[in-house]
Amino acid sequence: MQPLTDRTVVSKLASIKVAILGAGRGGTALLDLLHLIPSIEIVGISDRDPDAPGLVRAKHLRIPVTGRIEDLIYNHGVNLIMDVTGDPAVEQFVQDHKRPETEILSGSAARVLWELVRHESNLQAELFHAEKLAGIGSFAAGLAHDINNPLQLIMGLAENLAEEKDWNTVHEQAREIVEAVRRTSAICKDLTQYARKTSARDETVVCLNNRLDEALKIARYAVSFHDISVRKDYEEGAAARGSADEILHVLVNLITNAVQAMEQGGGKLTLTTERFSDGANVRISDTGCGMESEVLEQIFEPFFTTKEPGKGTGLGLYNVKTIVTKLRGKIDVESRVDHGTTFTISFPTASEGAT
Amino acid sequence: MGEFTSGFFMGDSSTNGRVLVVDDEPDVRKVVRMTLQKAGYDILEAENGEKAIETINAGENRLLLDILICDIRMPKINGVEAIAYFRANYPRVPVIVLTGFPDADMATSMLRQGVVDYLVKPVEGEKLRESVARAMEQRELAHL
Repeated sequence: MQPLTDRTVVSKLASIKVAILGAGRGGTALLDLLHLIPSIEIVGISDRDPDAPGLVRAKHLRIPVTGRIEDLIYNHGVNLIMDVTGDPAVEQFVQDHKRPETEILSGSAARVLWELVRHESNLQAELFHAEKLAGIGSFAAGLAHDINNPLQLIMGLAENLAEEKDWNTVHEQAREIVEAVRRTSAICKDLTQYARKTSARDETVVCLNNRLDEALKIARYAVSFHDISVRKDYEEGAAARGSADEILHVLVNLITNAVQAMEQGGGKLTLTTERFSDGANVRISDTGCGMESEVLEQIFEPFFTTKEPGKGTGLGLYNVKTIVTKLRGKIDVESRVDHGTTFTISFPTASEGAT
Repeated sequence: MGEFTSGFFMGDSSTNGRVLVVDDEPDVRKVVRMTLQKAGYDILEAENGEKAIETINAGENRLLLDILICDIRMPKINGVEAIAYFRANYPRVPVIVLTGFPDADMATSMLRQGVVDYLVKPVEGEKLRESVARAMEQRELAHL
């Protein structure tokens, strides 16, 4: 027998066309995982319930959906039917009607697969959250600065009010105190929103310009912007489809890195958005230290970091890439030592109504 | 380094002492000024380390400055750099750190460099005045 070479394995894999029956939690989880794998093509997903979450998700991913499982079973191209309905009647129906060359994954085998997928997706979410929390640790200094300064103002004014005799001054300083409290509470609001556990399911059309502005605000707590000028070059209407929280996280990560690359001697941070008929781009560009090509090759690897021990988790860009890939986007990086680095994210098109 | 160390100028009766407040936040400079002016101090302000160094080297300030109150996290020259400059060039000017960030490592390192007090915002007026008064005593003792 001819040994299987890598090439034959790949071409065999390349031909896997999968149909998913059942678009509940199991079907959705499978969809999320399988659509990221280039050698697998999802030819369709079906569920009797037209509002099943997997059907909604599939529409966003532009995967054909149907209410009739027959459409998928009789489909000529399908190599593998994944039945995650858990319904014995469906299992029997598929067995009886499938084309002879089509393989079936159903019953307990499908359940085991679903458990694996769910486990993997939980791990991914935990990793993402852990990295975000680790990042928030670096906010401590900026946060203390931005909260304790207004508190110092409030303390000083309140102490003065206790003995102030001029009523105009009393009124003016009381107003200043109220204003300082408002500013301080706004900081907590920004950050607690950012720190909360992201729900990747909250998919909407996201306005990239608004998210960039928000990310800039949050990044200021994490890194010092002194001697760094910020240039915004936004195109109106630049939007992407995805979770606003996840996109924000990606942007905070890239802006923080860009500013850190300019720590020595300052520089210019340029934030650009562009809108095309088939999508939108975000570009984050710095004039910082840049990266050697061997560093560049590894930046998206998990646990790779050039930062001092305790300063970086090595998960930042890994998570960035994971999220961008999930949103069917692409991330490119160009870098020159001592000249700077530019990250470009290309998002596929999103419909109107960005928030 | 050109520092005139006679106590003669401290005898100036119009003020209890001249304090340079270095903080990037105008609000903080304002309340520190309010708090210390009530106790009879004369206040100079600088918004970062660079301005602080300019200020002390301008005119007669180098002769008349008694105390430096300095933040840590500031643009341009930050507090750590500014304090190192003051300790090296004006070792007889006591330095009080007034920072928003309670950081034990930073406090230890600052106190080792001869900083006389490390205060964390928000600090009460009374505590700030006590700290400045103690620093003034040290300053005068150093001149004896």
